[in-house]
Amino acid sequence: MSDQVNVDASSGSGFYKMMMGFFASYGFLPVILVFLYLGFGLVEPVFLTGANAQNIIEQASYLIVLATAQMFVLLTRGFDLSLGVVVSVVSVASAMVMVSIAPEGEGPVILALTAGIFTALVVGATAGGINGICVAYFGINPFVVTLGMQGIAFGLATTISGGFPVFGLPDTLINTLGQGATWFGFLSPPVGVCIIILLLSHFVLNYTVFGRSIYLLGSNPRAAEVGGLPWRRHNMMAYVLCSTIAAIGAILITARTGTGEPSTGGGLVLLSIAAAVAGGVSLRGGEGRVIHVVFGGLLVSVLSVGMNLARIDSFLQQVVLGFVVVGAVFLDRLRLRIRL
Amino acid sequence: MTTNTTLNPPTATGQSSAANAPLIDMKGIQKRFPGVLALDQIEFELRPGEVHVLFGENGAGKSTLINVISGTFPQDGGTYTFCGEALSNLNPYRARQIGISPVFQEFSLAPDLTIEENLFLGREISKGGVLNKSEMRTKVAQVLDNLGFDLSAKQRVAELSRAQQQMAEIAKALLHDVRVLILDEPTASLSERETERLFEIIDDLKAQGVGIIYVSHRMAEIKRLADRVTVLRDGRLVGTVEAELVSEEKLIEMMTGRTFEAMFPHIENRAGDTLLQTSGLTTRDRLVDNVDFNVKAGEVVGIAGLVGCGKSELARAIFGLEDIESGKIELMGQPVTRPSPAHMLKRGLCYFPSDRVAEGLALPRSVRENMTLAALDLKAFASRGFLKIKSERRIADEMIRRLTVAPGDPEKRVEFLSGGNRQKVMLARGLERDVKVYLFDEPTVGIDVGAKAEIYNLIKEMAEGGAAVVVISSELPEVIHLSHRAYVMHRGALVAELTGEEIVEATILAHFFDRDHLDEAGEPPLQDAG
Amino acid sequence: MRGNTIMEKILTPIHKAESRQSAVMRRLMVLGLLPLLMIVLCIVLGMIEPKFLRSANLINVLRNASFLMLIASGQMMVLIIGGFDLSIGAVVALTSVTTALSMNALIAIFPDSYLLVISLGVLAGLGAGAAVGLLNGFVVALMKVSPFMVTLGTLSIASGLALYMTQGVPVYGMPDLFTRDFGRMRIFNLPVVIYLTAAMLILIWWMMNHTKFGKYMYAIGSNEHAARVSGVKVTFYIVATYTACSMVAALTGILLTARVGSGEAGLGATLMMESIAAAVIGGVSLRGGVGRVEMVALGALFLALVTNAMNLLRVDSKLQTIVIGVVIILAVGIETYQSKRVKR
Repeated sequence: MSDQVNVDASSGSGFYKMMMGFFASYGFLPVILVFLYLGFGLVEPVFLTGANAQNIIEQASYLIVLATAQMFVLLTRGFDLSLGVVVSVVSVASAMVMVSIAPEGEGPVILALTAGIFTALVVGATAGGINGICVAYFGINPFVVTLGMQGIAFGLATTISGGFPVFGLPDTLINTLGQGATWFGFLSPPVGVCIIILLLSHFVLNYTVFGRSIYLLGSNPRAAEVGGLPWRRHNMMAYVLCSTIAAIGAILITARTGTGEPSTGGGLVLLSIAAAVAGGVSLRGGEGRVIHVVFGGLLVSVLSVGMNLARIDSFLQQVVLGFVVVGAVFLDRLRLRIRL
Repeated sequence: MTTNTTLNPPTATGQSSAANAPLIDMKGIQKRFPGVLALDQIEFELRPGEVHVLFGENGAGKSTLINVISGTFPQDGGTYTFCGEALSNLNPYRARQIGISPVFQEFSLAPDLTIEENLFLGREISKGGVLNKSEMRTKVAQVLDNLGFDLSAKQRVAELSRAQQQMAEIAKALLHDVRVLILDEPTASLSERETERLFEIIDDLKAQGVGIIYVSHRMAEIKRLADRVTVLRDGRLVGTVEAELVSEEKLIEMMTGRTFEAMFPHIENRAGDTLLQTSGLTTRDRLVDNVDFNVKAGEVVGIAGLVGCGKSELARAIFGLEDIESGKIELMGQPVTRPSPAHMLKRGLCYFPSDRVAEGLALPRSVRENMTLAALDLKAFASRGFLKIKSERRIADEMIRRLTVAPGDPEKRVEFLSGGNRQKVMLARGLERDVKVYLFDEPTVGIDVGAKAEIYNLIKEMAEGGAAVVVISSELPEVIHLSHRAYVMHRGALVAELTGEEIVEATILAHFFDRDHLDEAGEPPLQDAG
Repeated sequence: MRGNTIMEKILTPIHKAESRQSAVMRRLMVLGLLPLLMIVLCIVLGMIEPKFLRSANLINVLRNASFLMLIASGQMMVLIIGGFDLSIGAVVALTSVTTALSMNALIAIFPDSYLLVISLGVLAGLGAGAAVGLLNGFVVALMKVSPFMVTLGTLSIASGLALYMTQGVPVYGMPDLFTRDFGRMRIFNLPVVIYLTAAMLILIWWMMNHTKFGKYMYAIGSNEHAARVSGVKVTFYIVATYTACSMVAALTGILLTARVGSGEAGLGATLMMESIAAAVIGGVSLRGGVGRVEMVALGALFLALVTNAMNLLRVDSKLQTIVIGVVIILAVGIETYQSKRVKR
């Protein structure tokens, strides 16, 4: 009898410990995610259909790409406020390149696509390079650098496009990377690209010196310096990688809308940070994995699709997003306390 | 002494009724931090007009205890009675109100404010939130004048030297009614004359019935000031003794829990070729000024000096962490231009920083990742930018065994380890690669006695294995008992080089203050004396 | 006397000479360079574009600068305690909308008492600002999380609310007494907002230099731990500072609303960036503890001059955000460089 009781007690505390360990490493998110999903399903049964699930995943994949980009910078204890407008600049610039080579899909389409994607990557890497150099080599506060870059990139995006969307993109782009298209008959392109980026990011973070280095320098920049790591270079590379991945996201978004949009970017910074931090990437640097970003992206996507289905005003959704961000930061802090 | 006028005596009522009742009476005090029991069952008593010295090694719990007394951390267990009243929910603000004034080593000064603003911080003379600046100015001038400190009230704290900041901190503690004054190694950065002035002030306060808690390592100070001494070790109370009745040897034995012979291994001196040499080394901030210094293979060289004398900066400059203005560094006969940590590690010089948490370790990461932090450029751990996780695991396991790191789990986050084990994790970086010169900066700060002995043995192993070892330490016994040769540093310059039998506390301490006398005598300061 | 000099020799840190030199340099940079730059800018502008020197244009510059000075001095307070407020522009929008909507609602209840309606409307606006500030302050101070993150969240909340309440459509119909008589009022040919701003700046200057609140802001930003152990109620003052900052932003929003004549959710979109730029140009340190309101006012004036110059020279308004972005990075870059020099 007494044995029985003992087992129960120990398994109880074991369960408690396990739960705490689970929360400490994944946060409360997976649980919240399940509740939200079922909750929206109760309010609006359409929410639980397979088609809607696919929609949620597709929406999430755009976001996850951008949140992965943001994660690389967050891991270094940095922050990229310019991510959204960099998406705008890249979208506009690559669209203009494609349209000028093959207007309305008339002309060397493959060349146009290649040039467009090349432009996107170069523009992204350049913006990231400037951010990275200012942060890593000149030691300027990353918030300020990327805030300034936000102004610069916003000005550029609206100036080169004149403030209007760029129309006339080749259909091939939309048919290969847009939302309606499928790869191998089943895989939606944004989801496919997202999975590739996630796998590569996971590999880079866990199996390369650069990945290890950004975890270490994010946890303690001074220790990385004293330990002889090339921390400045790696810190800068994190910004370059962030903006380059954001540029890939920009191409996906351009292919979805079929236009180069100078104003898409605005809200994306907040979304990318919300997804990353809500997922469990720490603002204090050095903590966060690809799986966290997936959870975070799904959360924001479930919320936004759910609110759309529940016909909640889009402006009100912005308010909810704000609370999600503040709440996510709050939980991030709570997670730290549980761990200690 | 004219101090009486401003250093208000404690309110008479509380005094007369209980003339010799203790000011502070603590029983069974406990304080827990994540992963450590910092204080365990501490008893402590302070009487009016007494100087009560807290004695113990770094990390023994002295700082934690004075933080509990001054309300920075609440205790987790036990009772804390002040003037017969049990205190609960004490905070720094209330502590100062009832007359407990701490002077911490890490100063409680805001660098961007002036001395005057700092002295009154939190206790401004004001009416309805509006400051009465002229009254504060008068009072500050009076207090500074009476203390005999050469400080001007309008100077910004950021522009002060460390000694001046120390004096400002003391003035801040004495600005208002004081019943308990806490001094945490106040003389660590003061010159001899300033120290003497401080002692006079302490005598004065004693006469007024103020209780003084004095944290110190220095035997001479304890002899001069102490009425009673309480010794702590590893967060536990070893005992409280009357200062007059206890010998120096006894105190040190109480502090370390063992005799010197058991603590410090004998290290063979097999000095060989000079491995590291500097000439005329000067840093941009002049904290290291024209230093000629060398260390040979198989030799342990100690560097002693006051806090802020530049001994740590010397090692940091060699390792590439401080900007060098002029001078030469030679490593194994080869000149080093523009040192950087990565470069120096590659060439076989390893520096272990004094502040493990700030500079040594990435606390939220695992033991394994921290052990290889400084070795990711080696073929054993990575090639072409890709990590070799398997061989990393193997070597981490080996290091854990060799250094007896506990717990032995390589995936444990370092933040969960005790100070001693954290230090071992950091030291692993020096064993993974071919290092010829080791620079230890305060190697035993905040670690327990057992781990200390292990680290001393590691130093012995390194030196007898043919490496050159430099031990920079504020713990004099460490310098005295480990070094074959010792330098004393003062204000950025090496002022003495001692060998063998010359390395004793009295000689070293004499050199701590050497230059003040020369300055006083009006002689030009020495260019260098290394 | 002799004792004194010896004492000084002993106590003077060796590097003091150098640090004093760079302190002088810094003071020159902060105090001397900015007005000098402004004078040069004015002269050059006057030569290139005579329109610049017309009194109408100069008054225009001064009025634009006033709004910026106000909001930048709010941002300054938060920067001084070592914080940051990204929500400051959204607060302007939220205040504008709240003020306009509540005036419209109140005027239906009290059709004749314009003064009452206006005062209550203004109070509602200030209340909305205070609410955002309190939220910022509480989350930052109690949860000890990055103020960037918190205020980014409240930025979304405040601007979302403003848009939701108006659906993006400007709100008209406030009493003429507010929009025309007050908003366009001039005293001695100068817009009333200039006087109000001057009064506010003097008030803030007095507060920063002669009250506990001001001193505590500097102390918290300079060394929060020191302030705490010295008995400063740090949490309280952090909340108070964020609230004060948001209230100043709310005041700016109300003045802008009176000036524009409608409640707009798009008001103040650029003010967040500009307020930070003005504060940083005025020598406020992002590390906290340093900053003077008079210099921030100069910074705002400088920025207003540059904007005016770009308008007169017909630089595309879209390019202007680029210029402000570059200015922010440069100003902080120079400050970072200098503080590194001083430290080392």
